[in-house]
Amino acid sequence: MALGADRYASRADALVFIACVVLSVAAMGLPESWRQPIARGLRATVLAPFLYLQQQSEELRTSRARYDQVVAQRDSTALAAGFAPELRNENARLRGLLGLGQRLSGGFVAAEVLHQPEPTNPLTLVLSAGKRQGVQPLAAVVSPEGLLGLVSAVDPNSSVVVTWAYPEFRASAMSEDGSVFGIVAPHGTEGPGVWLLELRGIAYRQLIPDGTQIVTSGLGGVLPRGIPIGTVIGLAGEAEGWERTYLVRPAVHPAAVTHVMVLTGPVARSGDLHSAFTAMGEAP
Amino acid sequence: MRRTDRYRFYIVLLVLVALQFTVRSRLGDDRVAPDFLLLALLIYSIRAQPGKGAAAGFIVGLLRDALTPASFGAGALAHTLVGYLSAWGKAVFFAENLFVNGCLLFAGTWFRNLALALASGQLKGGMLGWELLVWSPLQSLTTSLVGMLVLWMFKRTMSMRLSDA
Repeated sequence: MALGADRYASRADALVFIACVVLSVAAMGLPESWRQPIARGLRATVLAPFLYLQQQSEELRTSRARYDQVVAQRDSTALAAGFAPELRNENARLRGLLGLGQRLSGGFVAAEVLHQPEPTNPLTLVLSAGKRQGVQPLAAVVSPEGLLGLVSAVDPNSSVVVTWAYPEFRASAMSEDGSVFGIVAPHGTEGPGVWLLELRGIAYRQLIPDGTQIVTSGLGGVLPRGIPIGTVIGLAGEAEGWERTYLVRPAVHPAAVTHVMVLTGPVARSGDLHSAFTAMGEAP
Repeated sequence: MRRTDRYRFYIVLLVLVALQFTVRSRLGDDRVAPDFLLLALLIYSIRAQPGKGAAAGFIVGLLRDALTPASFGAGALAHTLVGYLSAWGKAVFFAENLFVNGCLLFAGTWFRNLALALASGQLKGGMLGWELLVWSPLQSLTTSLVGMLVLWMFKRTMSMRLSDA
């Protein structure tokens, strides 16, 4: 059926359009303290069933992947069962692969990342765990490779993470051996350095070789010490005679993460997690 | 126009919304996979009056803003513009043709990403260039292909005007 001229915009259409534009602009201008309750209210009511649906879908996908993994492990184990020494080695290897979770001694909440299609998705992520699962504001969010970001808002069954790519993200950091301290921030959104971090405020006399791993320092009491942030890949700039800024390749890319751990409990406040992540890297 | 066609129209939209939250994450890269929610909005708005298209766009955008607080309000603005312009543009310029509809879906998706990127102010320089010249066209292409498939499969249901029902 052809569309007719009766669907040209009428005065009422124009008024509705203008009202929607004005409301949108007003929403953009809202202070952060107003945005969070509105967003939280929508996530807890209208969006709750859809987020639940997405969470179930992610769990189903994970279950299938785990099933395949279990089948593969079962086949491997059946093959190894014929050789007792091999079986012992296999067991040792599997224990080693239990991973970061065990080394954190239960001080974490596992969550799925519910990715959204918007271009700004890597800046803030929605997780499938919230207050009921023990997630708290400002908790560190990590993957086995390192730091992803901080929890900025917590709902009953979901939470919002500000990733390291968010323009206002900052973390107190240090070199792996603890000899150099600085502040890590996003490098920016222009030029070839997109999706890199900067290590700022390094004294001019201190040189950091390329390849040095940068971890959280624990200063400030928000992030625990020892979580890998990234690896130094070069000098970004220097202020004449008094400080240098280094480029850091992040350990984790937000768009590539599907499952994360939100740190909770004592380890999230005062623990040194460097050994947990180091052991992860050394696992067979 | 039969009443059942109207119900089918809204059921198709509901199925698209459900696909957004279930199937989409399995369709590859987030930046390329079809945006079913935007597709539902576009299919609705090109059948509706511009005012209703704008209102639907505002609601969809606001809900999406709740899921991506980094650009709160920008999504509502971008979807409002897309909802209004697609309804108005379809009424004024475009004939009822599957390929033309596909082009409209492509343009709507790309324009949504452009408006969102500019309004949020979070993407600049090289990142904005990559988004608008690489990722957005790819997402627009997949979204329009799925949209054309939906319009072709439900040709009779999708040919209705909402004011007829």
